Amino acid sequence: MLLREVEYARPASVAEALAILKQHDGARALAGGQTLINVMKARVASPDVLVDLNGLDDLKGIELGSDGTLTIGAMATYTDIAGSAEARARPILGEVCLTIADVQVRNRGTIGGNVCSNDPTNHLPPLLCAVGAEMTIASEDGERTVAAAEFFLGVYLTAVGPGELLTKLTIPAGKHDGFAAVTLGADGTCIANAAASLNGSLRVALGCVDAVPIVVQPASAAEDAVREAVRGAGLMPPSDVHASSEYRIHLAEVLAVRAARQAAERS
Amino acid sequence: MSAIASSKAVTVTVNGVEYEREVEARKLLIHFVRDDLDLTGSHIGCDTGNCGACSMIVDGQLVKSCMLLAVQADGASIETVEGLAEDGELTALQQSFSDHHALQCGYCTPGMLMSATALLRTNPNPTDEQIKKALQGNICRCTGYWNIFEAVKAVGS
Amino acid sequence: MSDSTTIAPDRVEVQAPQKQWQGQSVPRKEDKRLTQGQGVFVDDIKRHGMGYIHFVRSPYAHAHITSIDVSKAEEIKGVYGTLTGEEVASLTDPFFQLATPPGAHLKDYALALGKVRYVGEAVVAVVAETRELARDASELVEVEYEPLAAVVDARNAQDDGVPVLHDDAGSNMMWESVYEWGDLDAAFAEADRIVKIKELHFHRFNSTPLECDGALVEFNRGTGQWTIHTNNQFPGFAQIMMGPALHCGLDKLRFVTQDIGGGFGNKITSHPQLVACCLLARKLNRPVQWTEWRTDFHLSMSHGNERWFQDTEVAVKNDGTLLGFRTKALDDAGAWLRYEPLGGVIWAQVTPGVYKWRNIRLEFTQVATNKAPCSPNRGYSRMQHLWFTERVIDIVAHELELDPVEVRKRNYIKTEDMPYETPNGCIYDSGDYSRMLDIALELIGWKDAAARKKEAASRGKLLGIGIGSTLDSGTNNFGQSRMINPELQFSGNNEVATVKLDVFGEIVVTLGTTPQGQGHETTAAQVVADILGCSMDDVYVRAGHDSYWNSHAGFSGTYASQFAVTGLSAVKGATDMLAEQIKRLGSVILGGVPVDALELADGTVRIKDNPEAALPFMACGAIINANNAGLPEDLDVTLNCRYVYRPPFEVPDVEKKFGNLTLTYAAQIHAAVVEIDPETGHYEIVDYAAVDDCGIRIHPQIVEGQVMGATAQALGAVVHEAFEYDEDGNLLTPNFYDYHVPHALDMPPLQTGYIESPSPFTPLGTKGMGEGGGAGIHSVCAAVQDAMRGHGDAIVYDSWNPYKRVWEMLQHPEKTRALVEVVDA
Repeated sequence: MLLREVEYARPASVAEALAILKQHDGARALAGGQTLINVMKARVASPDVLVDLNGLDDLKGIELGSDGTLTIGAMATYTDIAGSAEARARPILGEVCLTIADVQVRNRGTIGGNVCSNDPTNHLPPLLCAVGAEMTIASEDGERTVAAAEFFLGVYLTAVGPGELLTKLTIPAGKHDGFAAVTLGADGTCIANAAASLNGSLRVALGCVDAVPIVVQPASAAEDAVREAVRGAGLMPPSDVHASSEYRIHLAEVLAVRAARQAAERS
Repeated sequence: MSAIASSKAVTVTVNGVEYEREVEARKLLIHFVRDDLDLTGSHIGCDTGNCGACSMIVDGQLVKSCMLLAVQADGASIETVEGLAEDGELTALQQSFSDHHALQCGYCTPGMLMSATALLRTNPNPTDEQIKKALQGNICRCTGYWNIFEAVKAVGS
Repeated sequence: MSDSTTIAPDRVEVQAPQKQWQGQSVPRKEDKRLTQGQGVFVDDIKRHGMGYIHFVRSPYAHAHITSIDVSKAEEIKGVYGTLTGEEVASLTDPFFQLATPPGAHLKDYALALGKVRYVGEAVVAVVAETRELARDASELVEVEYEPLAAVVDARNAQDDGVPVLHDDAGSNMMWESVYEWGDLDAAFAEADRIVKIKELHFHRFNSTPLECDGALVEFNRGTGQWTIHTNNQFPGFAQIMMGPALHCGLDKLRFVTQDIGGGFGNKITSHPQLVACCLLARKLNRPVQWTEWRTDFHLSMSHGNERWFQDTEVAVKNDGTLLGFRTKALDDAGAWLRYEPLGGVIWAQVTPGVYKWRNIRLEFTQVATNKAPCSPNRGYSRMQHLWFTERVIDIVAHELELDPVEVRKRNYIKTEDMPYETPNGCIYDSGDYSRMLDIALELIGWKDAAARKKEAASRGKLLGIGIGSTLDSGTNNFGQSRMINPELQFSGNNEVATVKLDVFGEIVVTLGTTPQGQGHETTAAQVVADILGCSMDDVYVRAGHDSYWNSHAGFSGTYASQFAVTGLSAVKGATDMLAEQIKRLGSVILGGVPVDALELADGTVRIKDNPEAALPFMACGAIINANNAGLPEDLDVTLNCRYVYRPPFEVPDVEKKFGNLTLTYAAQIHAAVVEIDPETGHYEIVDYAAVDDCGIRIHPQIVEGQVMGATAQALGAVVHEAFEYDEDGNLLTPNFYDYHVPHALDMPPLQTGYIESPSPFTPLGTKGMGEGGGAGIHSVCAAVQDAMRGHGDAIVYDSWNPYKRVWEMLQHPEKTRALVEVVDA
């Protein structure tokens, strides 16, 4: 419960946030804090400076473009997304957000914080890979975009480098999505999950089976095709107290089939 | 450029009373409220943000005050369990908790009441499922929750 | 009861006065403060200048401590001081051990000395001006370790070449004993079949009260007394452990508590931490405060006993009549014996479970492992044993293709046999298990089982229904500790209450108990108000416990399902005394009316035939306390009555391991319906029924609340909760992130039922209750096994059945089937 000493800044603009992040090697962006504060309590992480993004309204918007493209600010909370009329354009987003943890966590936790922490048990990394999201990363040198599938690099490691900030996520139009998970109790920590998106071709992203979501592209949403694609991925998930590696491989396959089925059945 | 500092003067309004304190940046809001402001009604039951015993309403939003730094609450209006009853008169929800034996040891109760209060503000007549969903972030080890659901439901209807 | 040598307690007249308050679910007196955040829990207490303690904990499961250097920590401004194991050893004696050798040889101190034996063991304490600073400084404490191999599997603990935790004990075997009653040879000769079960495993978990342990300790240099504000739930035991260690009389250890955030047995063995606090308060000459955080609690406090049942053989007739069993219980105590090896006898309170088998042999062995020490957990030691007996029943029924309901009913002890003497001399006081089972089956819809299974199958689900029958033995006869160690000078039990009438007529009740949510203030007031004929509102029951209140007996505390018997009987005793004194005073003041002609009603003592002639309690209180000149010299009335209730126990026969070990036997019959998703092993409890019989219910709502809470804990334990260790002795579930307790969305629909079989042995007809929730583990295990019938017929062999295990059982049922063999006798 007791954090190491840390300095705190509450920048008034994204530019200011980027400046602080650049000036301080040990600085880290503080989004919703629903992961970061916890790892700081355990003293597993101890940044020198916390750059609190909570005052930055520029990062909170949820906009729907005329082509159906959804742009979600990195600081939009799960509650914001679940309640947003615009975000309903891609219904799976709000649906999955509503199964994350609990009201309190959803009120503070943000989409940006979720993907930047890339805890392998998080729901959103596989989902955003499946729907083909693009992440916009800003620094004092400008902006760049990274596809979700390239964004996640390792446990707690993403394409967001020192001095950089994830500012928004862009999600293409689409409705044929599915998500399936086995969790520790209802709405609990994921043991395994799978997200699927059938918009043109089928893309399935598997969570909790590796440090990063594993994306496979089955030939069709037919059960056999999905199973074959998952088997072809050569999964080697870790064993832990909740699941053996073998069990996770099995769950990945079953959940991929279910997510794909849901995506295909969704009108 | 905003100041970068390891401690900061923080002003918060808790249950209508304004407090100003110098506080270390690393201090969690729950420790600030309990230890510095001496409002010990909100509790601590875990160290991972799972239990919800520290739930408060900050600027109208239900949060777990163990996943928020005190400095982040600067300028905020905070509601805790101590602010529910007025002049010792229990709210309908507090009374319902007692009527339905929705508390045993009472340790989770403050957080549970804040979660239920937040629910009933936005949804005065929640369904069973909505009540469960709203209380998902609050662990109770004594009651098995059943009487808590009943207590909230009785106020709703 | 032909082989009876136990003396059954005398039946007591269950008093049924005008019961205005008892039996009613009146509003709880505790609720007004607790719903407003006005409870006072240990961490709420502050003192000027107090220091905060942070314990440096072992990162290794097993290691020699080669050096400790606290100098860097002590140099920090704001650090008040430190405490090391060597200092502790120079200032205290090791805690006394309950065990006979080899366990008796353990040298257990408040901090690790020379060696660490589990991850999370406290090695050094650091005290500083703030919580944060204490933790900062603890990171500067330099401890060097020389790691050793860890012992994590009790089954290997005694093997050659396995490291020994305690050199003083010579091996990892801590305590062992053979229990045998009846005639095993005859039973097995009479049997048609012998069902052999190679191994069953009851897993390690505990109830994880939401408030962890803590203390604020002050030392009074002038009197040499410590005031220990703590949430320890059994101060009597803590004092007995701490006094000799600290070389002080027990009165020098003043225990104070108000509100406790759940206990469930897990807050009994905090004496090592409390001794560290005492030493630091004295050394630093300032109050010290210790808050145990969740991860600390999981790593180091009070795990429930993990137990293996090996080489079980059950003698059974073809019709399912159970004749007896043999088994070997291997108990994993963890690294220290903090309350153990009492678990080695506590199970014997319920030796045959709810069944009539008369021939039982159990070889009990307790070993030490490099895991957190075990201590009582709700259902302590009986839950393990009763889970075992229920598993046996279901496995026998399953293998002999008999109906588990019929097997139960055939073997249940019958209501007409009550009071029933068990093979080891325990007297089951009353009950009707068959009737309870009928109610449970009705509530769960047993008759529709086949249709429900079919319907579930149409959705691709496997549905199973299971029964768990269990007992909650309450009010210990501490004489059973002599079966652990004949030298121990404990027997019987007691609890105390005082009731007084103050100057302005306030009725003030003081309890010796340390409630953690059981509503003692309320139920005590109900009993008092009925006896005194007044309103409950006029009865003020002091909140919490203070060993200075003169309401502290040797066994004071709240544990082991006994308040409704010991606590309330003490209240009743003291109130009866007060009532009698009020009448004697009334007799004098009302002009010499005979005491028999008086009654207590409406807050007065009055003449039965002339209720107008009444003396209000206020006047009584004023006369005795403040206006007593001229009263007759021989009027021996203080209006301040203290009563110690002593349950009727004999010392058990240690040689034969025979005697009445507890006074009351509440019963629980639960039924669970589960639905398994065979593709994933994920399952849900879709319906649940809990039927309880705890005799007379003083406050039905509180009783039902205990039933619900215990049930919820069992449902968490059977599906999710486990203290699992890796092979290096690292705890894999050190907090609520990985140790998933039930949340709101996890709760199944619940139906409750009850019957009331008054205990003939207790003054109020009550029985202790609150620990019967273990039935939830039994019923879900049975339901999961039932669901898998016809789908591989796996045997549920573990009390912890997370999804991964269910999937594993469905994939490889043969691995579990290999555990069971049925042979013709």
